Amino acid sequence: MTGYLTAIATLVGIRALLALGLNVQWGLTGLVNLGVVAFFAIGAYTAGLLAVAGVVWPLAWSAALVISGLAGAGLALAALRLREDYLAIVTLGFGEVLRLFLLNEAWLTRGANGITGIPRPLHGWFPVHYDLFYLGLVALAVALVYLVLERVRRSPFGRVLRAIREDETVAAVAGKTVVRFKVQAFVIGAVVAGLAGVFFGHYLAYIEPNMFLPQETLFVWLALILGGSGNNRGAILGAVLLLGLLEGSRFAKDLIPFLTGVRLAAAQQMLVGALLVALMIRRPEGLLPER
Amino acid sequence: MPPIAQYLFNGLVTGGILALPSVAFSLLWKLLRFPNFAVGTYLTIGAFAAFAVNHGLGWRIEWAWLWAFGVTGAVAWVADRVAFRPLRDRRPFALAIASIGVAFVLENGVRFIWGNDYRSYDVPVTRALVWHGLRVGREQLAILGVAVALMLLVQGFLDRTRLGIAMRASADNPLLARVKGLPTERIIGLATLGGGALAGGAGVFLGLDTTIDPLLGTGLIIAVFAAAILGGIGSAPGALLGALVVGVMEEVSTLVIPPTYKSAVGFAVILIMLLLRPQGLAGARS
Repeated sequence: MTGYLTAIATLVGIRALLALGLNVQWGLTGLVNLGVVAFFAIGAYTAGLLAVAGVVWPLAWSAALVISGLAGAGLALAALRLREDYLAIVTLGFGEVLRLFLLNEAWLTRGANGITGIPRPLHGWFPVHYDLFYLGLVALAVALVYLVLERVRRSPFGRVLRAIREDETVAAVAGKTVVRFKVQAFVIGAVVAGLAGVFFGHYLAYIEPNMFLPQETLFVWLALILGGSGNNRGAILGAVLLLGLLEGSRFAKDLIPFLTGVRLAAAQQMLVGALLVALMIRRPEGLLPER
Repeated sequence: MPPIAQYLFNGLVTGGILALPSVAFSLLWKLLRFPNFAVGTYLTIGAFAAFAVNHGLGWRIEWAWLWAFGVTGAVAWVADRVAFRPLRDRRPFALAIASIGVAFVLENGVRFIWGNDYRSYDVPVTRALVWHGLRVGREQLAILGVAVALMLLVQGFLDRTRLGIAMRASADNPLLARVKGLPTERIIGLATLGGGALAGGAGVFLGLDTTIDPLLGTGLIIAVFAAAILGGIGSAPGALLGALVVGVMEEVSTLVIPPTYKSAVGFAVILIMLLLRPQGLAGARS
């Protein structure tokens, strides 16, 4: 039971990081990122591949964050310089193409077999209660990212982001280079998603392309909208509630006889999609509205 | 290796199928001012609606196609009523997010009922026509013919009928259209119904040309988007042209890159367009 709870809490922490990253993009700046899972995958794969190649973890992790950020900068620059309404499709397409790449370029990514035996950082220090230690590490990361993003939100930079979200013409008239701010916000979100990926890969010790399906992006969106977009605490609360929802519906399998694995997954995703739409209509500010 | 003409012909068929949802997607985007990501899933709905009556009730594929055409139109209309209408005056991006939610509900509804297996229609086997080494399937010819006919009908409707002209007016300037007393909601309802029907019909074609599974249409949304952008948002002939270009490029691309990357062609087209000509091939400079 403790093992189960530790595992659940670790995954909540990872999803909370994803939601915090999306909050900078959508919550503060109003940018639609439908490729959250792509940056998650880049973080997991970069750190995982480097780690199994024997690179020490601080170096591998830094590389993962840098590559996530660069990918975010490239996409954001391509889309935001000209047509913001294309950002959604460019990010969605990027997620799909990246997954094709992970599946097919086995020379680099090991293809459908995935990466096995990703070493666990600092395992020598805590050989006994390593899972608890790792949970602590994830919790520490969530706390740090939360504090940094809270500072960002309150800073003059954060105010500009919110001004852009509300009315970018006004922000531009006030002398702000709107595109630059948007790209910066997008990159911050991409790096945080990359960090979540790093923790994910090292935690499972095994990653493969089908762990990074589009529904992961949808889950992060639901977490953020449910918790309260624009509110960093909301993002974390949303991640907790989402996992409660996903894990809770798993128990439905024991209660309803005709629910097979495929059907359960389908019902879960229907629920998530419907909840997202319902929240958009009924309570777009989420449980913890932006202050 | 088959001649290059074979790739071009297959590309035209793919493009013809792609044209139906692309035109729907492009017109709805202009009219409602948000990219509806659920349009791809409407193809899946159409494919399975036809599958249900074709296998379950033994209907001929022609009747099953008509049925799918109607059912998908109705599903799109209901989705619009339930999910999009309450959000009409919100930021366009809120609608785009909601459309992703709708797409997941529909796709997984299909998965819940039929599972993840690959299926195909019950159709009589026909021999392909061979002409100078070019293989032309009879189904392919029928698909291309119906797709072209539907495109002409859409264009005629938009150009010639009062309702079509009203629809274009609403898309160009919704405020002015409303002030002038056009029934905007009815126009949107009709456009959604028609757009959904076109996408559903295309879904059956795609199922005939390939196989049917719950991801049939979802993966197509990037190509649809690319076609709409190529043609310029809101232009029906543009979307048709864009779809043909994307379809041919997808097939011809397999000569130089592994076929597994076929679905990345749409993404490449979008990136190239963004960098070179963001207003579309046929669109005016804005």
